[in-house]
Amino acid sequence: MTAVLEMRGIGKAFGAVKALDAVDFDCRAGEIHVICGENGAGKSTLMKVLGGSYRPDTGEVLLEGAPVRFHHPREARAAGISIVHQELSLLPFRTVAENIFTGMEPTRWGLLDRQRMDERARALLRRLGSAIPTRALVADLSIAEQQLVEIAKAMLVDAKVLVMDEPTAALDDRDARSLLDLVVRMKAEGVAVIYISHRMPEVMAIADRITVLKDGRQIWTRDRVDVTVNAIVTAMVGRELQDFYPARAATGPGSPVLEIRGGRNALLRDIDFVARAGEIVGIAGLEDSRKSALAQALFGDTPFSAGEVRIAGRPASIRSPREAAAAGIGYLPGDRKREGIAPRQSVRDNVLLTLQAMAPAFASPNGGARSRPKVDQSLRDMDVRAGDFGQEIATLSGGNQQKAIIARWLMQNPRVFVFVEPTRGIDVAAKAAIYQTMRALADAGRAIVMVSSDLPEIIGVSDRIVVMHQGRIAGELPAGAEEGAVMRLALGVADAPSVREMAS
Amino acid sequence: MTAIPDTARPARRIPLRGLNFAIAIFVVLYAGIAVLQPNYLEAALFMNFLRRAAPLAILACGQLYVILSGGFDLSMGAVVTLVVLAASMLIGGDPEMSWPVIGALYAMGLAVGLANGAIVAFLKVPSIIATLGTMLLVNGLALAWSGGAPRGDLPDNFRNLGRLVLRDVPLVGTLPVAVIILAVATLLMGWGLHRTAYGRRLLAVGDNPRAAELAGVPVKPTRISAFVVSALAAVTAGILIGGFSGVSVNAGRGLELQAIAACVIGGAQLLGGRGSVVGALFGALSLFALFTLLNLLGLPQALRDSLQGVILIAAVGASVLRHRRST
Repeated sequence: MTAVLEMRGIGKAFGAVKALDAVDFDCRAGEIHVICGENGAGKSTLMKVLGGSYRPDTGEVLLEGAPVRFHHPREARAAGISIVHQELSLLPFRTVAENIFTGMEPTRWGLLDRQRMDERARALLRRLGSAIPTRALVADLSIAEQQLVEIAKAMLVDAKVLVMDEPTAALDDRDARSLLDLVVRMKAEGVAVIYISHRMPEVMAIADRITVLKDGRQIWTRDRVDVTVNAIVTAMVGRELQDFYPARAATGPGSPVLEIRGGRNALLRDIDFVARAGEIVGIAGLEDSRKSALAQALFGDTPFSAGEVRIAGRPASIRSPREAAAAGIGYLPGDRKREGIAPRQSVRDNVLLTLQAMAPAFASPNGGARSRPKVDQSLRDMDVRAGDFGQEIATLSGGNQQKAIIARWLMQNPRVFVFVEPTRGIDVAAKAAIYQTMRALADAGRAIVMVSSDLPEIIGVSDRIVVMHQGRIAGELPAGAEEGAVMRLALGVADAPSVREMAS
Repeated sequence: MTAIPDTARPARRIPLRGLNFAIAIFVVLYAGIAVLQPNYLEAALFMNFLRRAAPLAILACGQLYVILSGGFDLSMGAVVTLVVLAASMLIGGDPEMSWPVIGALYAMGLAVGLANGAIVAFLKVPSIIATLGTMLLVNGLALAWSGGAPRGDLPDNFRNLGRLVLRDVPLVGTLPVAVIILAVATLLMGWGLHRTAYGRRLLAVGDNPRAAELAGVPVKPTRISAFVVSALAAVTAGILIGGFSGVSVNAGRGLELQAIAACVIGGAQLLGGRGSVVGALFGALSLFALFTLLNLLGLPQALRDSLQGVILIAAVGASVLRHRRST
């Protein structure tokens, strides 16, 4: 069978970061080709190159043997490449039929031909084995039905290549199974299906071939029959650990500071979690593991709707960030710019913000007894580098902003510190400094919770690793666990009998 | 006055830049007035100028609170109208009633402010729409209540708040009561904004509400309080306006836009996070000086509005350019 789609030597760099490095990839008609890879391995970038959102720096894309260059996603769609993104792109207050035909509505004498639109939409949906009324509003459909409408929209243009980016991430098991049936049906119709997923059982169930990406490079492409789950996991992990991680504490952890029993909310289930004084707990998981939802629940941003929270042994209610701050929980948000800094305020005011927030409204803006020299001293203690602490914080580098936000919480002296992606987008030197700080905070008797998508960081820093999978805690590993072991838990395949076999 | 813009170090004290700008404009405009009418340089006439500018200055400082929190308050002018009409109806010419009615007026202002704030904070309606709604509502209620033709007169003890001038005051010679009220109001609002933890919260909420929330700031109460301050400032301005202009159904028309323009001239950033009470004060004085200048030049009143539009656009444009260069 010949390849419908061929991508040769695709390279794409963003600044100094090579997102893709000479990746070869192809997909045949009537085949399901699965792409696996860790967070940031380059899967999405590769699909964006294919879909015309990015132009590759090197390499070429061939569709049915002929080279193509897409300048806009619309061109790719017209050429028969349809992409179903993880975030749905439907208009919620339009009908099913209108959504399917967005941008290519059938007309008659220049007017919208609603009847023909409904008929064709119904036929398309029937082909996908569905009887969703075509005049229903998308907002009234379930996520699974919306997913189906999205696929119908993709099929409207007679897709030769159908790309599905983690389509089952938001679905429950039953809906996921019917979606997989659908994917298999598309394959039977001769469509080349590219399927991105973290869920190993479904990968093994539907794939014809599997490609593993890591750090923008293609590790291998193999037929599914020649592959085991362990082989995939091993190929996905295995980066070298750098040695800038600080030494772990000599003594064991102290008493529990933060305890969650049976915590749940719309995104999380059965959360039993303990953070003890003096330890750094790493929380790992893939993109759809909802590990950041756990961080938000711990901090009261999207609180637990059920379950028991205890702080230092006493029951506590944490319904908002303000209550969390009052209860002694500090929080370093993952998106510094959107959630961390007040960009136009001075470095000093940013550092004082939590004190100001918790002080009586008409207290001095220095948040109680702290004088300006004391504030400046704590900034220097955190090694925040700025010409003048009165300047706007937006003028500082990312690493210095991050340190300033840590300093903000230290003024409040929290017992628990939740770090979300603490080193995302900052340089190596600032990373090392933040690891040192986290360790120092733990050594001073605080409990540190670190949510991170960076696996080497999780393994290098944590005293204990909690791995999340689909909103649940999949398991717990001790310090220095292998990457493979973390990845197996994250993928939900930890029960595979031959776990030891592939440690390389 | 050492108002020299320090261009070499663009990001020094944040409020200073806006302050320099507005003070400079005011000085230039007032100099223009003095050229046409030299007696404006006398203390008595300057005091009179301040007296007439006082309501706008107080409105601008109140509006500043809302702008810094990231919104607009379009209902200020309607509150002024309500205050003037309600005062004439409730007092009914009886001097004994003045003080209780002033209390009632502040209660009405509080209610409008709370309503504005609650709509914005809880229903998440954009403030420009929410306050446009209360503006129409309050205006309509005030007109309906007064029947379109307000009856009743304001007694002298009420009108004196806006109109009385104290004579033989040491140092300044004459001192209008309205200027004392202006001084107290700006000092109070300046203290609240620049000398309290609350003021910093307000700036943080306007700058980045999500970051403020995650830092523990009570975002909703802070937002609501800004609208309350604004409405109470409007009540104060309304009492002064009732004092020296008398009762009219158009008492507050357009004042909300003048207050917003004053804030912008004073260096406040629309949609929040940057600005100062001193800037708003001098922005209002500049705007009022401009109106005075146009009167002296004999330009028709209608041109006032057009020119105000030009100034508003120019001020916003200038602040965008300045901040683009410095970042």
